[in-house]
Amino acid sequence: MGLPAGVVDALKQIVGVDGVRLAPGELAAYARDATPLFHAEPDVVVFPRTTEQVAAVLRLATEHEVPVVPRGAGSNLCAATVPLSGGIVLALTRMTQILEVDGDELLARVQPGVTTARLADAAAARDLLYVPDPGSRTTSTVGGNVATCAGGLRGLKYGVTRNYVLGLEAVLPTGEVIRTGGRLWKDVAGYDLTRLLTGSEGTLAVLTEVTVALLPKPAEVGTGIAYFDSLADACRAVAAIISAGIVPATLEFLDQKCIAAVEDYAQLGLRGDAGALLLFGDDGPIEVVAGNLVRLRKICTEAGALEVTLAEDVARSDALLAARRCSLPALSRLGSLTILEDVTVPRPRLAAMVDQIDEIAARFGLLIATFGHAGDGNLHPTCVLDPEDDEAIDRAHKAFAEIFAAAIRFEGTITGEHGVGAAKLPFLADRLGADQMRLLRRIKTAFDPAGILNPGKVGS
Amino acid sequence: MIFDDDLLERCISCGFCLPACPTYSLTADESSSPRGRITLMRALETGQLEPDDPTLVEQSSFCLGCRACEPVCPAGVQYGDLLEQWRDHQWQGRNRPVLARLLMAVVARPWLLRLQGLVRRHARTKVRGRTYSLMLGCVERGLYPRVSRAALRLAPGMQAPRAQGCCGALHAHNGSSVQGAEMAEALGKRLPGTIVTTAGGCAAHLSAHLGRDRVKEFSEWLVEMGAWPQGEVRVDGRRARVALQDSCHLRNGMGVTRQPRELIKAVAEYVELPGAGGCCGAAGTYSLLRGADSRKVLAPKLAEIEAARVDFVVVVNPGCLRQLEQGLRRSGSRVKAVHLAELLTWAEE
Ligand SMILES: Cc1cc2nc3c(=O)[nH]c(=O)nc-3n(C[C@H](O)[C@H](O)[C@H](O)COP(=O)(O)OP(=O)(O)OC[C@H]3O[C@@H](n4cnc5c(N)ncnc54)[C@H](O)[C@@H]3O)c2cc1C
Ligand code: SF4
Ligand code: SF4
Repeated sequence: MGLPAGVVDALKQIVGVDGVRLAPGELAAYARDATPLFHAEPDVVVFPRTTEQVAAVLRLATEHEVPVVPRGAGSNLCAATVPLSGGIVLALTRMTQILEVDGDELLARVQPGVTTARLADAAAARDLLYVPDPGSRTTSTVGGNVATCAGGLRGLKYGVTRNYVLGLEAVLPTGEVIRTGGRLWKDVAGYDLTRLLTGSEGTLAVLTEVTVALLPKPAEVGTGIAYFDSLADACRAVAAIISAGIVPATLEFLDQKCIAAVEDYAQLGLRGDAGALLLFGDDGPIEVVAGNLVRLRKICTEAGALEVTLAEDVARSDALLAARRCSLPALSRLGSLTILEDVTVPRPRLAAMVDQIDEIAARFGLLIATFGHAGDGNLHPTCVLDPEDDEAIDRAHKAFAEIFAAAIRFEGTITGEHGVGAAKLPFLADRLGADQMRLLRRIKTAFDPAGILNPGKVGS
Repeated sequence: MIFDDDLLERCISCGFCLPACPTYSLTADESSSPRGRITLMRALETGQLEPDDPTLVEQSSFCLGCRACEPVCPAGVQYGDLLEQWRDHQWQGRNRPVLARLLMAVVARPWLLRLQGLVRRHARTKVRGRTYSLMLGCVERGLYPRVSRAALRLAPGMQAPRAQGCCGALHAHNGSSVQGAEMAEALGKRLPGTIVTTAGGCAAHLSAHLGRDRVKEFSEWLVEMGAWPQGEVRVDGRRARVALQDSCHLRNGMGVTRQPRELIKAVAEYVELPGAGGCCGAAGTYSLLRGADSRKVLAPKLAEIEAARVDFVVVVNPGCLRQLEQGLRRSGSRVKAVHLAELLTWAEE
């Protein structure tokens, strides 16, 4: 591609020489994110430290029509940060200040490059809870979480990132700085731009400050594991739990292949002979948690669990959750190309969807392991492949296209938490329909008239 | 082919290793993260970048080789091996830092090391049964002969043969992994039986080549033998407050973290530093080759040590001992850095 003359010098003026990276090796390192098979190099990587610098970079980019891809930790799984049209990668990893944690107002205000785990730790240090809990929390940034509307392990009882974003500071591609929402739970003045920007995947504005709601830290957290013969059995147990009127904080499942891979990494003593496991957990007042865990154990047993155990202490609970969070990379031990997908179906169709996935995998002759957030119907079928085998990769693409179609047929969706990025864009119209796609593009143009922000992604 | 294909393919770019990497935390730049460096290695492998590419040269030396990225990687990427292969290719000829070349030349000559023994009073014993041999690390022999003397006092049954040579870790980490492997093998022949070492770096390198069973790090050996120290270390009439700085290779390469802590707890009040597992910046020859970066990595650790109000900070590797000694002295701290073996000999009945 190449940049117009003078742009690099102007960028150095804005962020300083140390904030501009141009060497071929430095660009190569930004050619990809956590998504396999997508790869494109930027022309320059820019590290801003302030909102003013972000605004100046965007103004410059709009003026010269240079594409800009905002990037947090690059842990997304839909090629959302691959700079398909070159241009600038705007790395927000140096904007890492926690600006405030307020125990009276129950909120925190942070710069976008703060990692999710650091925000959660800062909250915990004040006996507060930052709820959104994506598997990638130690790495992913709050800005990236908001931009993708990340979900996580507490989604069932507590919802996802968007339920906790109170306000945003955002820079429009034209350089204007807006502040949406603020510090209030109740605030209905104007269109809800906070929600619009949450999940906008870096295509409408660059988030430079995020205000999130916190909760008082629950007194007790408990976790248990139930083993089943099959994933379908585990799904039936999920249905039984929900219909018994319990909404646990965590309800995650792994199939047999995932159990083996996670055990290989974390060595927790998980049962290798089971076809699936359900990791359940709850938080709240001590008596409530203890009571719920006992009820959950009973329901699982009645639903045919092979074995149910409760974690004896917090350390054990944490270890189990940590192991669940790394299912994806652990799965890659089975073969180094792992394509993970992210469909969601209404909870009652969970078992049927799992059967569909198994059927499709068998028909295409693929190894597809499945894990996910059972509680909210969010499944991650993950295909493990040999990266050299082009023919198998091709089959995998076809299989996933069928899996998406099945999810839509079940009144589900093509992505529950990872977002659209470049990887899912071809399937978006199937989910939204042509009219909504046109509206999306009009919204995109209103924010970004020159079309410089993250081209080739949602809204393009 | 520069890299073992399997090794390079293992990484799925999930980024789980980013927060563990001390150089990434200095720059927040992907190219100085483990994931970014693996991407660079791939570019080298495919010929997209030449070995003398400035980013490749810079990043291969900026990396501390601390391997903090390994235990946190769920995909099981063996970054330490990749780094050795990378430097093997990258640092041939003129690309290898001059100082590294000099040091490697010195320690590869056993007679020079023995000469040191005449000057410095490191431990020496006549060789008898040879079930357990104390390895006299080359750096430790020169800088801290008192450590091997202390080790022998705690473990009188151990032999400390004079003719040893160097284990070759220095070579393996500085772009000569073949020579590093040969030196490890040679040392393995000279010291039959179990080799016990007071240097975490040597322990990890040796065990990678001679097998985990043949090599014991000193604290691991003491605990295994049940040779618990008696008494306690006292300062101003009270039990001493003591922190530990893990050795990166011991922790990340061999998974030994519990034993040195238990030994300290046996004789003193143990204080866990929040960043005990993070690199101190010594990283073998790193503190010599990249002084400024090394000090930047060390800085937060010094602050932690001060804040912990300890009397001693214990290390289990001579490079780390030197790094902390210098850092604490420069910052005017009253905390002393000591090797675990030394501390244990101070315990009084
Ligand atoms: C092992 C693993 C487990 C995961 N588990 C989960 C999970 O449980 N739940 C879940 O939802 N996701 C999960 N993810 C996906 C990923 O971690 C999330 O999408 C995360 O929110 C991305 O954050 P990031 O900082 O890495 O953003 P990036 O990947 O850098 O960026 C993601 C998107 O956000 C945009 N963006 C980033 N920062 C800004 C900003 N400041 N302003 C505007 N746009 C911005 C980018 O342009 C891009 O479109 C997982 C990923 C991995 C590798
Ligand atoms: S954690 Fe492992 S697989 Fe993930 S990016 Fe780092 S080295 Fe690669
Ligand atoms: S060895 Fe240490 S410095 Fe090098 S990439 Fe791994 S964590 Fe970073």
